[in-house]
Amino acid sequence: MNNAQDSELRIRMLAKSELSLTSRLGYVALLLVASAMTVIVVTLLTTEPGLPGRARVAFVIMSVIGVSWMGLATWALTTRRPLAARDRVIAGWMAVGFTSVYMIGTVVVALVARNPSGLAAMAGGLLLLALAVGALRKAKRRFAELAARRVELEREMRSGPIS
Amino acid sequence: MSTDSSPEVRADELLAIRCQLGERDAFDALISRWHEPIWRYLRRLANSDDAAADLAQDTWLKVFRGIASLREPASLRPWLFGIARRVAMDRLRRLYVRAEDGDARLEDLQAPEPDADLESDLATLEAGLHSLPLHERETLALFYLRELTIEQIASLLAVPPGTVKSRLFRARRLLRAELKPMEMP
Repeated sequence: MNNAQDSELRIRMLAKSELSLTSRLGYVALLLVASAMTVIVVTLLTTEPGLPGRARVAFVIMSVIGVSWMGLATWALTTRRPLAARDRVIAGWMAVGFTSVYMIGTVVVALVARNPSGLAAMAGGLLLLALAVGALRKAKRRFAELAARRVELEREMRSGPIS
Repeated sequence: MSTDSSPEVRADELLAIRCQLGERDAFDALISRWHEPIWRYLRRLANSDDAAADLAQDTWLKVFRGIASLREPASLRPWLFGIARRVAMDRLRRLYVRAEDGDARLEDLQAPEPDADLESDLATLEAGLHSLPLHERETLALFYLRELTIEQIASLLAVPPGTVKSRLFRARRLLRAELKPMEMP
């Protein structure tokens, strides 16, 4: 085996670890969970007037932790593990599913509690769901554009060189 | 997107789009098609197999992380060599920072003596290429061996097309002079 082939073998191993779908979707899950947690904590912090001082400090710290996890996941998904078009569609469906469940939970809380906290949590859930639906629609549109161009190119290549 | 491109450019575009779609086997095909040309290009710039292997690894890491955001999939070839070049230049810059001689210039980086037992014409050409200064060697390799256009090379090297032409002219002259003694019995 020559040096170029040896190097190619290393690159193929690198591709295996770099292109792992599991790790990408792991970061998507982290982003979703961190976003939900942050929205809940910030909602409680801003709408509950009678929170004791220590609880307030704890909530602030939890919010900072949540935002940090969101930042880490976003950084990983934009620089270290960027999502391909197909991954984005999967991630979009994950986000819609997760935020739908979250939304249902907040609606139940709002109906039972009938207080500003419940309504604010519901508004937060609605916002997350809207963002998830927007991301899914964008991902599907991008996927469709690339797939259409792929079909077009394959047809051109089958029909031979263009004079 | 243009439809009047060559079959090679369309094949590259298709490969890039399949990678952007997230098809795992497209990445395998990308590596099969482009690893060796990239490795040889880096080998010419770095003058060492080990350095070329390290640079190729850094290059592919950037390719895997960046191909999803490649705006012009039809420009896959100059994009790949652009990344390879930046990775190689970063390494050269680090080497120069470490070098004690403050007057060292990129053009002064000469290849080691070519192997004595080169047998084929291709190997002779490789040896001739290695004797050229870095800029000329790189331009000649991109133009003839990687078949990039003068405009693509100019864009990749961030120099005017006229500079690419003059480097090509100089490279051809130097290579001719270098190969002449080798042709003699």
